Amino acid sequence: MIAPPAPVIRVDGVSRWFGSVVAVSEVSFDIMPGITGLLGPNGAGKTTLLRMMTGLAATSRGTVSVFGQPVRDNPPLYRRLGVMSEHETVYGFLKGREFVRMMGRLRGVENLEAAVDRAIGLVDMADAQDRAMDTYSRGMRQRMRLAATLVHDPEILILDEPLNGADPRQRVHFKRLLQQLAAEGRTIVLSSHILEEVEQVADTVLLIVNGKLAASGGFRAIRAALNQRPYHVRVLCDAPRRLAAEVVRLASVDAVHVDPDGAVVVLSRNVLDLQIELPRLAQSSSIRLRRVEPLDDSLESVFGYLVEQ
Amino acid sequence: MGSVYRLTLRQLTGRWRLLVMTVLAAMPVVIALIMLASDDAPSVREFETAILGAMLAGSIAPLVVLAIAAAAFANEIEDRTLANITLAPIPRWRIAVPKLLATITIAGPFIALSALLTSHVAFLGDTAATVAVTVSALVGVALYAAAFVWLGLVSPQAIGLGLLYIVLWEGFFSGFVSGVRLLSIRHYAIAWMHGLDARRFAAGDHVSFGVAIVLSVLVFAGFLGLAVRRLRRMDVP
Repeated sequence: MIAPPAPVIRVDGVSRWFGSVVAVSEVSFDIMPGITGLLGPNGAGKTTLLRMMTGLAATSRGTVSVFGQPVRDNPPLYRRLGVMSEHETVYGFLKGREFVRMMGRLRGVENLEAAVDRAIGLVDMADAQDRAMDTYSRGMRQRMRLAATLVHDPEILILDEPLNGADPRQRVHFKRLLQQLAAEGRTIVLSSHILEEVEQVADTVLLIVNGKLAASGGFRAIRAALNQRPYHVRVLCDAPRRLAAEVVRLASVDAVHVDPDGAVVVLSRNVLDLQIELPRLAQSSSIRLRRVEPLDDSLESVFGYLVEQ
Repeated sequence: MGSVYRLTLRQLTGRWRLLVMTVLAAMPVVIALIMLASDDAPSVREFETAILGAMLAGSIAPLVVLAIAAAAFANEIEDRTLANITLAPIPRWRIAVPKLLATITIAGPFIALSALLTSHVAFLGDTAATVAVTVSALVGVALYAAAFVWLGLVSPQAIGLGLLYIVLWEGFFSGFVSGVRLLSIRHYAIAWMHGLDARRFAAGDHVSFGVAIVLSVLVFAGFLGLAVRRLRRMDVP
C-alpha cells in the first residue's frame, strides 16, 4: 500500500489570542504542493494565521510544521520559504536591484547577480531596477517585493494580499507567474479577501471567518455553495404592490415583500436569471424601475452564509 | 552579517539625526573652551567631575547613543520591515551583532572626537590623558549601545525609557548611592579613565579598574545576549 504524500505545511489545532481577543481558534489543515487560496474577509485572522505559518508569530496553542519540522525559531528552514507580507513598506533609500540583491545575499544565494536578474525578470521590472524604491508606484513596489521573495528560488511561497495595488495588466501577469511557479512543483499559499482573485488561480481554498476554518476544499464545491445562497434584492419602482404580485410568479424568485417605505425586497437563489427577468417583467407590465440594488452582496455576508451552512 | 550592517548604517544616518549628534558632541568641547578661558579655571578634579564624568560620560554619550541605538531595530519594527531580515536563514546573533556594530560605528566617532578634543584642550595636549578619556568614552559608547539596542527591541517607548534611565539612574542615583555605581555604565567609563591614566586622574570612590573591566564585558555580553534571545522569541510584526 502506498502511503499518502506528507503535507508540505501542517497546521494542527492552532489558536492565537491577544489578551481576551481570539484571532485564530482551533484551526487545522494540511497544505500540499500547488496553489492554495486563504480566503476571508478583512479581520478574519488570515494574516495572523500566515504569520504563524511562517514562524514570525508564536501560536498560543497547537503546532505549525513545514516539511515536518517546527517552523518557529528554525532559521535553516527559512531557506526553503519565500514570504511576502501584506505590509508594503520598503527601504525607500535602496534601489530595486539593491533590495533584491540584499535579500538574496541574506538568504545565501549562490550566483547572486544571475539570481537577481532572473527574479527581477520574472516580475518584469528590469527597466526600473536601478531606481530608488521610494520613487516606485504601489504596484511597482509590490512587484519588486515579489522579486525579493523569489530571488532564492524557494520551494514554498507564502503571499499575503500580494495583488494590493496591482493594475489589471499586472494582475494577469502575476496570475500567470503563480501558475508557472506552481507547475514547477512549488507550494504557494495566497491570501486575499477578494473571492474572484483567489478563484482564478487557486486549486484549493481555505475559508477563514472569525478566526475559524469555515470551509476548505476545491473551489468548485465552495462556489456551488455560494451559488445556492439566497440574495436579497431591493427594487424601487412606481408601482411596488403590483410589481410584488407579478415578480413572485418568476421561477427565480423565492419570496417577496414590500417594505413600509415602498421598496420591494425580492429573495432569490438565482440572481443571474432575476437580472434578466425583472426588467422584462417591468417592461411588459408598464412598471417603471427606479433602482435595483443587492442588499447583501458584500463579501462578509457571503462568508457569513457559508459559516451558517 | 555585512548586509545587515550596511543596511543599518544607511537606515541610521539620516541628516537630522547626524545634525543633532554633531551639536550634542560639540557641547563638551565648547564648554571646556569657555571654562578654560575664564579667570577661575577649574582644577583637574572639578573638570573631571563636571565635564568628563557628568557631561560626557553621563549625558552626551548616552544621549547620542540612544538617538542611534533605539532606532536600530525600532524603525524596522515600526515600519514592519524587520521580517525581511528575521526570515533570513541565519542565526539570530548574526542579526543582533551587526545592528550593534552599526550603532557603535555611527555613534563612536562623534563621541570619540568629542572626548579627544575636550581632553586635548583641557589637558594641554597630554597624550596619556587624552587617550584615557577617548578610550573610556568609546567603552561607554559600546556599553550604552548594547543596552539601548536591546531596549529598542523590547519597547516601542525606547527613547522615553532611555531618557528616564539616563536622568534617573545614571544622572541621579549613581551620583550619591555608592552601590548603584556597580551598575552604572557612566561609572564604568570613569573607572576606565582612571585605570588608563592613574597619574592624571586621582583615585576616588569609583569602581576599581579591574572590576570595571569585568563588569563592562558582562554588561556588553549580557545585553547582546538578551537582544539575541528577544529576536528568537518575539512576534515579528
